[in-house]
Amino acid sequence: MIFNSEISGQQQHTTSPVVTGGSVIALVYNGGVIVGTDTLCSYGSMAAFKNVQKIAQISKNTIYASSGEYSDFQQVVKELAKIDRSALQYDDGVHPSPKDYGNFLARLSYKKRCKINPLYLQNVIAGFHNGERYLGLIDIYGTYLESNFITTGFASYFCKAIISNYWNENCTLDQAKQVIRECFKVLFCRDCRAHDVIQLAYVDAQGAHIEESERVETKWDFNGFKSRANEKLHTQ
Amino acid sequence: MLKHLYDTDCVTWSPQGKLFQVEYAMEAVKQGSICLGLKSNENVVLCSLKRQPSELAGYQEKQFKIDDHMAIAIAGLTADARVLCKYMRTECLEYKYTYESHHPVGRLVFKVAEKSQHKTQSGAKRPYGVGLLVAGIDPNGVHLFETCPSGNYYEYKCQAIGSRSQAARTYFESWFHLFEKSTLEQLILHGLSALKKAIMEDEELNERNVEVGILGKNQKFVHLNAQELKDYIAKLETFNANTQIQQE
Repeated sequence: MIFNSEISGQQQHTTSPVVTGGSVIALVYNGGVIVGTDTLCSYGSMAAFKNVQKIAQISKNTIYASSGEYSDFQQVVKELAKIDRSALQYDDGVHPSPKDYGNFLARLSYKKRCKINPLYLQNVIAGFHNGERYLGLIDIYGTYLESNFITTGFASYFCKAIISNYWNENCTLDQAKQVIRECFKVLFCRDCRAHDVIQLAYVDAQGAHIEESERVETKWDFNGFKSRANEKLHTQ
Repeated sequence: MLKHLYDTDCVTWSPQGKLFQVEYAMEAVKQGSICLGLKSNENVVLCSLKRQPSELAGYQEKQFKIDDHMAIAIAGLTADARVLCKYMRTECLEYKYTYESHHPVGRLVFKVAEKSQHKTQSGAKRPYGVGLLVAGIDPNGVHLFETCPSGNYYEYKCQAIGSRSQAARTYFESWFHLFEKSTLEQLILHGLSALKKAIMEDEELNERNVEVGILGKNQKFVHLNAQELKDYIAKLETFNANTQIQQE
């Protein structure tokens, strides 16, 4: 049997993801921008790959993260790195700014969406250029939005209240990190496809810094769990 | 001479290591009427002398806007210039569409140079018969480039191309050390002074045959209108190049 789509003459389109990454949360703080993701790639409902880095450094002052199909994430990283590399051949020292990457990705996503073969991703581009902080959200349709804070996936539902209560755009780096950790704690409790190991990365005037992954603290030793009061056998 | 043995096409070298077709193309640039450019830390100014084919005709435009941040002045075959102009405009539009920012100047000049070089390495093609002065502003600063039919390009502080351009270059050699800190008005007056050196004895500069275009870090490319040109040309009489101020 032949499954080769080229021989059969039909073009394959990816309209449902296979290996997926979870939410991305990105915030500006007083010295730059910070992005947080968890380190899980799910295979449907199975937590298949638990130690995955989902934040990539694209150029000296730009980082990229996304939620959705992980192979598309890898492809986008290649495409964006290509742009940065091709800037070298012109010998003029001009490198794309974070906003240039954001717009490029929006045009690429829109083109693929128009062919009903999308990059199955919600993308976040974060950077610090000429003293200006940049956060861009590009969704699966190629919609392009700039903002002071960005959430993708389930974080958009669970985390916006936390962000609006505990974050402002001039907070310190540590305050922003705490807000993101709180958000992922909540996500781990509520989102079935979330993980308690997260990774933070920030971009400031010195460039991009991607930190080691860390486990968020979660509490499970509630009395109700320990005594399992609800699970007593009822006898007639 | 034996030139005619080696000058039939672009794919034949001469024993002295010359490509005569390319050299002949550069002659076409030297026959075009003069255009010059000069830059300071903040601005670039392009000045050209426009030719009138006959008394009944209008004057041939020599400066074209490529984008808000970039413009060219041409010397040579106008038809070839239009092709390059269209190419540059298209590239800028595509770059803007993809990245929402301005095409870096040096990069576009590099692309034009690559295109020009192609034409010098084919049996069936001829080189472009036009030289461009490309003025542009980008994050790297203020730029003035010259391209030629050979596919080479150079960056300049100030440059003049076209017929009798040597006179303008001689003017520049004396005064270019002042340009970096000149104001826009001083730059324009220097440019027109250089242009004046390059015209024939019985010609004069007026608002019809002179074209001046200006670009700045906060100034999109714009041509001076007839009234402004008249004013500047009048100021030329009393402009002292050394002190850069009007003398009474």
